Amino acid sequence: MPLASTSWIKSGNHIPEPVEPIDMDETGRATVLVVEDEAPLVDIYARWLEADHRVRTAQNGEVALERLDESVDVVLLDRLMPGMSGDEVLEAMEDRGLNPRVAMVTAVEPDFDIVRMGFDDYLTKPIDREELLTTVDRLLSRTSFADLEREYYALVEKQAALQSAKSAEELDRSEEYADLRRRIETLKGELDAVMPELDDGDFVAMVRDIEADTDGGDTRDAEADERGDGGGADRS
Amino acid sequence: MSYSVPGLWADRRVVFDPGTNLLVSGPSVDAEATLLDVLADGSPGESTVVITTNRPTDWVVSEFHHRESDPTTGLGVVDATGQEPPADGEVPVERLGSPGDLTGISLEFAKLVKRFEQAGAGTRIRVGVASVSTLLMYSEVRTVFRFLHVFTSRIQSAGLFGVFALDPGMHDDQTVNTVRAIFDAEARVGDGPVTLGGSGFREE
Repeated sequence: MPLASTSWIKSGNHIPEPVEPIDMDETGRATVLVVEDEAPLVDIYARWLEADHRVRTAQNGEVALERLDESVDVVLLDRLMPGMSGDEVLEAMEDRGLNPRVAMVTAVEPDFDIVRMGFDDYLTKPIDREELLTTVDRLLSRTSFADLEREYYALVEKQAALQSAKSAEELDRSEEYADLRRRIETLKGELDAVMPELDDGDFVAMVRDIEADTDGGDTRDAEADERGDGGGADRS
Repeated sequence: MSYSVPGLWADRRVVFDPGTNLLVSGPSVDAEATLLDVLADGSPGESTVVITTNRPTDWVVSEFHHRESDPTTGLGVVDATGQEPPADGEVPVERLGSPGDLTGISLEFAKLVKRFEQAGAGTRIRVGVASVSTLLMYSEVRTVFRFLHVFTSRIQSAGLFGVFALDPGMHDDQTVNTVRAIFDAEARVGDGPVTLGGSGFREE
Protein backbone atom coordinates (compact mmCIF):
# COMPACT_ATOMS: atom_id res chain seq x y z
CA MET A 1 0.00 0.00 0.00
CA PRO A 2 1.35 3.45 -0.79
CA LEU A 3 2.32 5.64 2.10
CA ALA A 4 0.20 8.48 0.79
CA SER A 5 -3.01 6.51 1.18
CA THR A 6 -3.37 7.41 4.87
CA SER A 7 -3.67 11.10 4.19
CA TRP A 8 -6.03 10.49 1.27
CA ILE A 9 -8.39 8.64 3.57
CA LYS A 10 -8.51 11.67 5.84
CA SER A 11 -9.13 14.18 3.10
CA GLY A 12 -11.71 12.38 0.99
CA ASN A 13 -13.61 9.58 2.67
CA HIS A 14 -16.75 9.18 0.60
CA ILE A 15 -17.43 6.18 -1.55
CA PRO A 16 -18.09 7.38 -5.09
CA GLU A 17 -21.45 6.60 -6.63
CA PRO A 18 -21.14 3.69 -8.99
CA VAL A 19 -21.48 4.63 -12.62
CA GLU A 20 -24.69 3.29 -14.11
CA PRO A 21 -23.85 -0.10 -15.64
CA ILE A 22 -25.78 0.74 -18.78
CA ASP A 23 -24.20 2.23 -21.88
CA MET A 24 -24.87 5.93 -21.45
CA ASP A 25 -23.60 7.14 -24.80
CA GLU A 26 -22.64 5.88 -28.21
CA THR A 27 -19.52 7.93 -28.59
CA GLY A 28 -17.32 4.87 -28.79
CA ARG A 29 -15.77 5.34 -25.41
CA ALA A 30 -14.36 2.26 -23.74
CA THR A 31 -15.57 1.05 -20.37
CA VAL A 32 -13.10 0.62 -17.52
CA LEU A 33 -13.94 -1.15 -14.26
CA VAL A 34 -11.82 -0.03 -11.30
CA VAL A 35 -11.60 -2.60 -8.50
CA GLU A 36 -9.81 -1.26 -5.44
CA ASP A 37 -10.63 -1.54 -1.75
CA GLU A 38 -9.33 1.88 -0.75
CA ALA A 39 -12.07 4.42 -1.44
CA PRO A 40 -9.77 7.42 -1.93
CA LEU A 41 -7.81 5.54 -4.57
CA VAL A 42 -10.99 4.49 -6.38
CA ASP A 43 -11.97 8.13 -6.40
CA ILE A 44 -8.70 9.29 -7.86
CA TYR A 45 -8.43 6.59 -10.53
CA ALA A 46 -12.03 7.22 -11.57
CA ARG A 47 -11.42 10.95 -11.88
CA TRP A 48 -8.35 10.40 -14.06
CA LEU A 49 -10.12 7.92 -16.31
CA GLU A 50 -13.42 9.74 -16.69
CA ALA A 51 -12.15 12.25 -19.23
CA ASP A 52 -11.65 9.55 -21.86
CA HIS A 53 -13.58 6.52 -20.73
CA ARG A 54 -16.76 5.32 -19.11
CA VAL A 55 -15.88 4.24 -15.60
CA ARG A 56 -17.41 1.72 -13.22
CA THR A 57 -16.08 1.13 -9.72
CA ALA A 58 -16.12 -1.59 -7.10
CA GLN A 59 -14.50 -1.77 -3.69
CA ASN A 60 -14.36 -5.53 -3.41
CA GLY A 61 -14.35 -8.62 -5.58
CA GLU A 62 -18.00 -9.53 -5.08
CA VAL A 63 -19.22 -6.11 -6.21
CA ALA A 64 -16.74 -6.18 -9.08
CA LEU A 65 -18.33 -9.35 -10.41
CA GLU A 66 -21.78 -7.74 -10.18
CA ARG A 67 -20.65 -4.75 -12.19
CA LEU A 68 -18.87 -6.80 -14.80
CA ASP A 69 -20.49 -7.67 -18.10
CA GLU A 70 -19.61 -7.89 -21.80
CA SER A 71 -19.38 -4.14 -22.19
CA VAL A 72 -16.39 -3.81 -19.83
CA ASP A 73 -13.22 -3.51 -21.90
CA VAL A 74 -10.56 -3.09 -19.23
CA VAL A 75 -10.47 -4.05 -15.57
CA LEU A 76 -8.06 -2.41 -13.19
CA LEU A 77 -7.79 -5.04 -10.47
CA ASP A 78 -6.14 -4.62 -7.09
CA ARG A 79 -4.42 -7.86 -6.24
CA LEU A 80 -4.61 -7.64 -2.46
CA MET A 81 -8.09 -6.91 -1.17
CA PRO A 82 -10.03 -8.06 1.89
CA GLY A 83 -12.42 -10.86 0.90
CA MET A 84 -11.86 -12.06 -2.67
CA SER A 85 -8.32 -11.51 -3.91
CA GLY A 86 -7.58 -10.19 -7.39
CA ASP A 87 -6.56 -13.69 -8.48
CA GLU A 88 -9.91 -15.08 -7.36
CA VAL A 89 -11.82 -12.33 -9.15
CA LEU A 90 -9.88 -13.10 -12.31
CA GLU A 91 -10.74 -16.78 -12.03
CA ALA A 92 -14.42 -16.04 -11.45
CA MET A 93 -14.46 -13.76 -14.51
CA GLU A 94 -13.01 -16.53 -16.65
CA ASP A 95 -15.56 -19.00 -15.27
CA ARG A 96 -18.29 -16.66 -16.46
CA GLY A 97 -16.75 -16.58 -19.92
CA LEU A 98 -15.90 -12.90 -19.68
CA ASN A 99 -12.60 -11.86 -21.14
CA PRO A 100 -11.84 -8.18 -20.62
CA ARG A 101 -8.24 -6.95 -20.54
CA VAL A 102 -7.07 -7.07 -16.94
CA ALA A 103 -4.31 -4.94 -15.45
CA MET A 104 -3.23 -6.12 -12.04
CA VAL A 105 -2.48 -3.45 -9.46
CA THR A 106 0.22 -4.60 -7.12
CA ALA A 107 2.61 -3.38 -4.45
CA VAL A 108 5.61 -5.29 -5.83
CA GLU A 109 6.76 -5.42 -9.44
CA PRO A 110 5.96 -8.90 -10.78
CA ASP A 111 7.66 -10.88 -13.53
CA PHE A 112 6.30 -11.51 -17.04
CA ASP A 113 4.99 -14.74 -15.50
CA ILE A 114 1.75 -13.01 -14.44
CA VAL A 115 0.77 -13.39 -18.08
CA ARG A 116 0.55 -17.12 -17.47
CA MET A 117 -1.96 -16.43 -14.69
CA GLY A 118 -4.28 -14.60 -17.07
CA PHE A 119 -3.34 -10.99 -16.32
CA ASP A 120 -2.62 -8.75 -19.29
CA ASP A 121 -0.50 -6.13 -17.61
CA TYR A 122 0.37 -4.74 -14.22
CA LEU A 123 0.68 -1.42 -12.45
CA THR A 124 2.85 -0.94 -9.38
CA LYS A 125 1.55 1.22 -6.57
CA PRO A 126 1.63 4.13 -6.21
CA ILE A 127 0.23 4.70 -9.67
CA ASP A 128 0.46 8.08 -11.32
CA ARG A 129 -2.05 9.52 -13.75
CA GLU A 130 -0.01 9.16 -16.92
CA GLU A 131 0.95 5.59 -16.13
CA LEU A 132 -2.67 4.63 -15.60
CA LEU A 133 -3.94 6.25 -18.78
CA THR A 134 -1.09 4.85 -20.88
CA THR A 135 -1.71 1.33 -19.60
CA VAL A 136 -5.43 1.49 -20.34
CA ASP A 137 -4.72 2.84 -23.83
CA ARG A 138 -2.18 0.13 -24.48
CA LEU A 139 -4.60 -2.59 -23.45
CA LEU A 140 -7.24 -1.12 -25.75
CA SER A 141 -4.84 -0.90 -28.67
CA ARG A 142 -3.88 -4.50 -28.07
CA THR A 143 -7.51 -5.42 -28.60
CA SER A 144 -7.64 -3.54 -31.88
CA PHE A 145 -4.36 -5.15 -32.94
CA ALA A 146 -5.72 -8.64 -32.20
CA ASP A 147 -8.84 -7.95 -34.25
CA LEU A 148 -6.87 -6.59 -37.22
CA GLU A 149 -4.37 -9.41 -36.94
CA ARG A 150 -7.07 -12.08 -37.19
CA GLU A 151 -8.44 -10.40 -40.31
CA TYR A 152 -4.89 -10.21 -41.69
CA TYR A 153 -4.46 -13.96 -41.43
CA ALA A 154 -7.66 -14.61 -43.34
CA LEU A 155 -6.48 -12.39 -46.22
CA VAL A 156 -2.95 -13.81 -46.33
CA GLU A 157 -4.35 -17.33 -46.32
CA LYS A 158 -6.51 -16.44 -49.32
CA GLN A 159 -3.51 -14.89 -51.07
CA ALA A 160 -1.44 -18.02 -50.45
CA ALA A 161 -4.22 -20.21 -51.86
CA LEU A 162 -4.22 -18.16 -55.08
CA GLN A 163 -0.42 -18.26 -55.26
CA SER A 164 -0.46 -22.04 -54.94
CA ALA A 165 -3.21 -22.55 -57.50
CA LYS A 166 -2.24 -20.08 -60.24
CA SER A 167 0.82 -19.32 -62.34
CA ALA A 168 2.64 -15.98 -62.07
CA GLU A 169 1.03 -14.85 -65.36
CA GLU A 170 -2.45 -15.74 -64.16
CA LEU A 171 -1.85 -13.86 -60.92
CA ASP A 172 -0.72 -10.78 -62.85
CA ARG A 173 -3.99 -10.75 -64.76
CA SER A 174 -6.21 -11.50 -61.76
CA GLU A 175 -8.28 -8.56 -60.46
CA GLU A 176 -9.13 -10.54 -57.36
CA TYR A 177 -5.45 -11.05 -56.59
CA ALA A 178 -4.60 -7.38 -57.12
CA ASP A 179 -7.46 -6.35 -54.87
CA LEU A 180 -6.32 -8.81 -52.20
CA ARG A 181 -2.77 -7.42 -52.34
CA ARG A 182 -4.10 -3.90 -51.83
CA ARG A 183 -6.25 -4.92 -48.89
CA ILE A 184 -3.31 -6.73 -47.27
CA GLU A 185 -1.10 -3.66 -47.73
CA THR A 186 -3.71 -1.39 -46.15
CA LEU A 187 -4.21 -3.73 -43.23
CA LYS A 188 -0.44 -4.05 -42.73
CA GLY A 189 -0.25 -0.27 -42.47
CA GLU A 190 -2.99 -0.23 -39.85
CA LEU A 191 -1.26 -2.98 -37.88
CA ASP A 192 2.07 -1.16 -37.98
CA ALA A 193 0.37 1.96 -36.68
CA VAL A 194 -0.94 0.13 -33.60
CA MET A 195 2.09 -2.01 -32.79
CA PRO A 196 4.68 0.53 -31.64
CA GLU A 197 2.66 1.20 -28.50
CA LEU A 198 3.03 -2.39 -27.36
CA ASP A 199 5.86 -3.60 -25.14
CA ASP A 200 7.26 -7.05 -24.34
CA GLY A 201 4.61 -7.71 -21.69
CA ASP A 202 1.92 -7.04 -24.29
CA PHE A 203 3.71 -9.26 -26.77
CA VAL A 204 3.75 -12.24 -24.41
CA ALA A 205 0.09 -11.76 -23.48
CA MET A 206 -0.86 -11.54 -27.16
CA VAL A 207 0.87 -14.82 -27.95
CA ARG A 208 -0.91 -16.39 -24.98
CA ASP A 209 -4.23 -15.19 -26.41
CA ILE A 210 -3.37 -16.53 -29.87
CA GLU A 211 -2.58 -19.95 -28.41
CA ALA A 212 -5.86 -19.95 -26.48
CA ASP A 213 -7.79 -18.95 -29.61
CA THR A 214 -7.45 -22.23 -31.50
CA ASP A 215 -11.11 -22.84 -32.23
CA GLY A 216 -11.42 -19.89 -34.57
CA GLY A 217 -12.38 -17.30 -31.97
CA ASP A 218 -16.01 -16.77 -32.97
CA THR A 219 -16.86 -13.96 -30.56
CA ARG A 220 -13.81 -11.87 -31.36
CA ASP A 221 -14.37 -12.43 -35.09
CA ALA A 222 -17.80 -10.89 -34.74
CA GLU A 223 -16.25 -7.93 -33.00
CA ALA A 224 -13.68 -7.59 -35.75
CA ASP A 225 -16.50 -7.28 -38.25
CA GLU A 226 -17.98 -4.40 -36.30
CA ARG A 227 -14.67 -2.64 -36.09
CA GLY A 228 -14.30 0.65 -37.90
CA ASP A 229 -16.54 3.14 -36.12
CA GLY A 230 -14.84 3.12 -32.75
CA GLY A 231 -11.28 2.40 -33.81
CA GLY A 232 -11.51 -0.92 -32.02
CA ALA A 233 -11.70 0.75 -28.62
CA ASP A 234 -15.44 0.33 -28.39
CA ARG A 235 -16.34 -3.27 -27.98
CA SER A 236 -19.52 -2.59 -26.05
CA MET B 1 21.96 1.62 -36.77
CA SER B 2 21.69 -1.13 -39.36
CA TYR B 3 22.71 -4.77 -39.12
CA SER B 4 25.63 -5.67 -41.33
CA VAL B 5 25.87 -9.18 -42.80
CA PRO B 6 29.11 -9.40 -44.80
CA GLY B 7 28.99 -13.15 -45.38
CA LEU B 8 25.46 -13.70 -46.67
CA TRP B 9 25.61 -12.96 -50.35
CA ALA B 10 28.78 -14.02 -52.16
CA ASP B 11 31.37 -11.29 -51.74
CA ARG B 12 28.83 -8.49 -51.46
CA ARG B 13 28.18 -6.78 -48.15
CA VAL B 14 24.49 -6.71 -47.23
CA VAL B 15 23.13 -4.32 -44.62
CA PHE B 16 19.69 -4.82 -43.08
CA ASP B 17 17.59 -1.95 -41.73
CA PRO B 18 16.62 -2.07 -38.06
CA GLY B 19 13.31 -3.88 -37.63
CA THR B 20 13.73 -6.09 -40.70
CA ASN B 21 12.60 -9.71 -40.60
CA LEU B 22 14.48 -12.11 -42.89
CA LEU B 23 13.26 -15.57 -43.85
CA VAL B 24 16.02 -18.03 -44.71
CA SER B 25 14.43 -20.81 -46.75
CA GLY B 26 16.02 -24.00 -47.97
CA PRO B 27 16.85 -27.54 -46.86
CA SER B 28 17.09 -27.57 -43.05
CA VAL B 29 20.85 -28.03 -42.82
CA ASP B 30 21.58 -25.20 -45.28
CA ALA B 31 18.95 -22.85 -43.85
CA GLU B 32 20.22 -23.37 -40.30
CA ALA B 33 23.83 -22.87 -41.36
CA THR B 34 22.97 -19.61 -43.13
CA LEU B 35 20.91 -18.44 -40.17
CA LEU B 36 23.90 -19.00 -37.87
CA ASP B 37 26.21 -17.20 -40.35
CA VAL B 38 23.92 -14.18 -40.25
CA LEU B 39 23.66 -14.20 -36.46
CA ALA B 40 27.38 -14.73 -35.88
CA ASP B 41 28.19 -11.77 -38.16
CA GLY B 42 27.12 -9.43 -35.35
CA SER B 43 29.13 -6.30 -34.63
CA PRO B 44 30.37 -5.23 -31.19
CA GLY B 45 27.52 -3.74 -29.18
CA GLU B 46 24.97 -6.13 -30.63
CA SER B 47 23.36 -8.97 -28.70
CA THR B 48 21.96 -12.21 -30.10
CA VAL B 49 19.04 -14.33 -29.03
CA VAL B 50 18.71 -17.78 -30.58
CA ILE B 51 15.45 -19.68 -30.24
CA THR B 52 16.33 -23.28 -30.95
CA THR B 53 13.75 -26.00 -31.43
CA ASN B 54 15.71 -29.08 -32.47
CA ARG B 55 19.42 -28.46 -31.92
CA PRO B 56 20.51 -28.26 -28.26
CA THR B 57 22.16 -25.21 -26.75
CA ASP B 58 25.69 -26.75 -26.79
CA TRP B 59 25.40 -27.18 -30.52
CA VAL B 60 24.40 -23.55 -31.00
CA VAL B 61 27.28 -22.40 -28.79
CA SER B 62 29.81 -24.56 -30.64
CA GLU B 63 28.53 -23.26 -33.99
CA PHE B 64 29.26 -19.73 -32.78
CA HIS B 65 32.80 -20.85 -31.86
CA HIS B 66 33.24 -22.37 -35.34
CA ARG B 67 32.35 -19.04 -36.83
CA GLU B 68 34.93 -17.35 -34.64
CA SER B 69 32.24 -15.45 -32.82
CA ASP B 70 32.59 -15.38 -29.04
CA PRO B 71 29.27 -16.64 -27.66
CA THR B 72 30.02 -15.33 -24.18
CA THR B 73 29.63 -11.74 -25.33
CA GLY B 74 25.92 -11.15 -25.68
CA LEU B 75 24.45 -14.48 -26.74
CA GLY B 76 21.32 -15.80 -25.05
CA VAL B 77 19.47 -18.99 -25.95
CA VAL B 78 15.85 -20.00 -25.63
CA ASP B 79 16.13 -23.78 -25.75
CA ALA B 80 12.77 -25.31 -26.65
CA THR B 81 14.20 -28.74 -27.50
CA GLY B 82 13.19 -30.24 -24.17
CA GLN B 83 16.69 -31.70 -23.79
CA GLU B 84 18.84 -31.64 -20.69
CA PRO B 85 21.05 -28.58 -20.23
CA PRO B 86 24.84 -28.82 -20.52
CA ALA B 87 26.67 -29.09 -17.20
CA ASP B 88 28.51 -25.77 -17.37
CA GLY B 89 26.61 -23.18 -19.32
CA GLU B 90 28.72 -20.59 -21.13
CA VAL B 91 25.70 -18.49 -22.02
CA PRO B 92 22.37 -17.57 -20.44
CA VAL B 93 19.79 -20.20 -21.36
CA GLU B 94 16.05 -20.20 -20.80
CA ARG B 95 14.54 -23.64 -21.13
CA LEU B 96 11.19 -24.95 -22.34
CA GLY B 97 9.65 -28.39 -22.53
CA SER B 98 8.43 -28.25 -26.11
CA PRO B 99 8.51 -26.21 -29.34
CA GLY B 100 4.72 -26.22 -29.10
CA ASP B 101 4.82 -23.83 -26.14
CA LEU B 102 4.67 -20.53 -28.04
CA THR B 103 3.72 -18.51 -24.96
CA GLY B 104 6.75 -19.95 -23.18
CA ILE B 105 9.00 -19.06 -26.11
CA SER B 106 7.70 -15.46 -26.01
CA LEU B 107 8.06 -15.29 -22.25
CA GLU B 108 11.65 -16.54 -22.23
CA PHE B 109 12.52 -14.30 -25.16
CA ALA B 110 11.15 -11.30 -23.24
CA LYS B 111 13.18 -12.29 -20.18
CA LEU B 112 16.42 -12.51 -22.17
CA VAL B 113 15.74 -9.14 -23.80
CA LYS B 114 15.08 -7.66 -20.37
CA ARG B 115 18.37 -9.09 -19.15
CA PHE B 116 20.21 -7.51 -22.10
CA GLU B 117 18.40 -4.23 -21.49
CA GLN B 118 19.51 -4.20 -17.88
CA ALA B 119 23.08 -4.76 -19.08
CA GLY B 120 22.67 -1.82 -21.46
CA ALA B 121 22.69 -4.03 -24.57
CA GLY B 122 19.00 -4.36 -25.33
CA THR B 123 18.50 -2.07 -28.29
CA ARG B 124 20.44 -3.90 -30.98
CA ILE B 125 19.60 -7.57 -31.00
CA ARG B 126 19.75 -10.22 -33.72
CA VAL B 127 16.97 -12.71 -33.09
CA GLY B 128 17.25 -16.15 -34.69
CA VAL B 129 14.50 -18.77 -34.85
CA ALA B 130 15.61 -22.26 -35.93
CA SER B 131 13.29 -23.31 -37.06
CA VAL B 132 9.82 -22.29 -38.19
CA SER B 133 9.44 -25.77 -39.71
CA THR B 134 9.56 -27.32 -36.24
CA LEU B 135 6.97 -24.86 -34.93
CA LEU B 136 4.69 -25.92 -37.78
CA MET B 137 5.00 -29.54 -36.69
CA TYR B 138 3.75 -28.72 -33.19
CA SER B 139 1.02 -26.12 -33.80
CA GLU B 140 -1.56 -25.31 -36.46
CA VAL B 141 -0.54 -23.10 -39.40
CA ARG B 142 -2.98 -20.43 -38.29
CA THR B 143 -1.50 -20.34 -34.78
CA VAL B 144 2.10 -20.31 -36.04
CA PHE B 145 1.29 -17.59 -38.56
CA ARG B 146 -0.30 -15.37 -35.94
CA PHE B 147 2.54 -16.03 -33.50
CA LEU B 148 5.13 -15.15 -36.16
CA HIS B 149 3.21 -12.06 -37.13
CA VAL B 150 3.09 -10.72 -33.57
CA PHE B 151 6.71 -11.72 -33.00
CA THR B 152 7.99 -10.06 -36.18
CA SER B 153 5.89 -6.97 -35.38
CA ARG B 154 7.57 -6.78 -31.99
CA ILE B 155 10.99 -7.14 -33.66
CA GLN B 156 10.03 -4.43 -36.13
CA SER B 157 8.80 -1.93 -33.56
CA ALA B 158 11.85 -2.46 -31.33
CA GLY B 159 14.27 -2.05 -34.25
CA LEU B 160 15.75 -5.53 -33.82
CA PHE B 161 16.76 -7.88 -36.65
CA GLY B 162 14.83 -11.15 -37.01
CA VAL B 163 16.17 -14.19 -38.88
CA PHE B 164 13.90 -17.22 -39.31
CA ALA B 165 14.76 -20.60 -40.88
CA LEU B 166 12.20 -22.57 -42.90
CA ASP B 167 12.51 -25.77 -44.91
CA PRO B 168 9.85 -25.44 -47.66
CA GLY B 169 10.31 -29.10 -48.57
CA MET B 170 8.67 -30.09 -45.30
CA HIS B 171 5.37 -28.29 -45.92
CA ASP B 172 2.76 -27.83 -48.64
CA ASP B 173 2.82 -24.80 -50.96
CA GLN B 174 -0.12 -23.14 -49.29
CA THR B 175 1.62 -23.22 -45.88
CA VAL B 176 4.93 -21.97 -47.28
CA ASN B 177 3.24 -19.09 -49.13
CA THR B 178 1.27 -18.13 -46.04
CA VAL B 179 4.32 -18.04 -43.78
CA ARG B 180 6.41 -16.30 -46.45
CA ALA B 181 4.01 -13.33 -46.52
CA ILE B 182 5.03 -12.27 -43.02
CA PHE B 183 8.63 -11.48 -43.88
CA ASP B 184 10.21 -8.38 -45.41
CA ALA B 185 13.03 -10.27 -47.09
CA GLU B 186 13.81 -13.85 -48.05
CA ALA B 187 17.15 -15.54 -48.64
CA ARG B 188 16.81 -18.78 -50.59
CA VAL B 189 19.65 -21.17 -49.89
CA GLY B 190 20.58 -24.65 -51.04
CA ASP B 191 22.23 -25.64 -54.29
CA GLY B 192 24.07 -22.75 -55.87
CA PRO B 193 24.39 -19.17 -54.71
CA VAL B 194 22.05 -17.53 -52.20
CA THR B 195 19.27 -15.46 -53.78
CA LEU B 196 18.04 -12.54 -51.75
CA GLY B 197 14.72 -10.80 -52.43
CA GLY B 198 12.23 -8.46 -50.81
CA SER B 199 12.91 -5.25 -48.92
CA GLY B 200 14.61 -3.91 -45.79
CA PHE B 201 18.18 -4.33 -46.97
CA ARG B 202 20.78 -2.77 -49.23
CA GLU B 203 24.16 -3.61 -50.64
CA GLU B 204 27.23 -1.71 -49.59
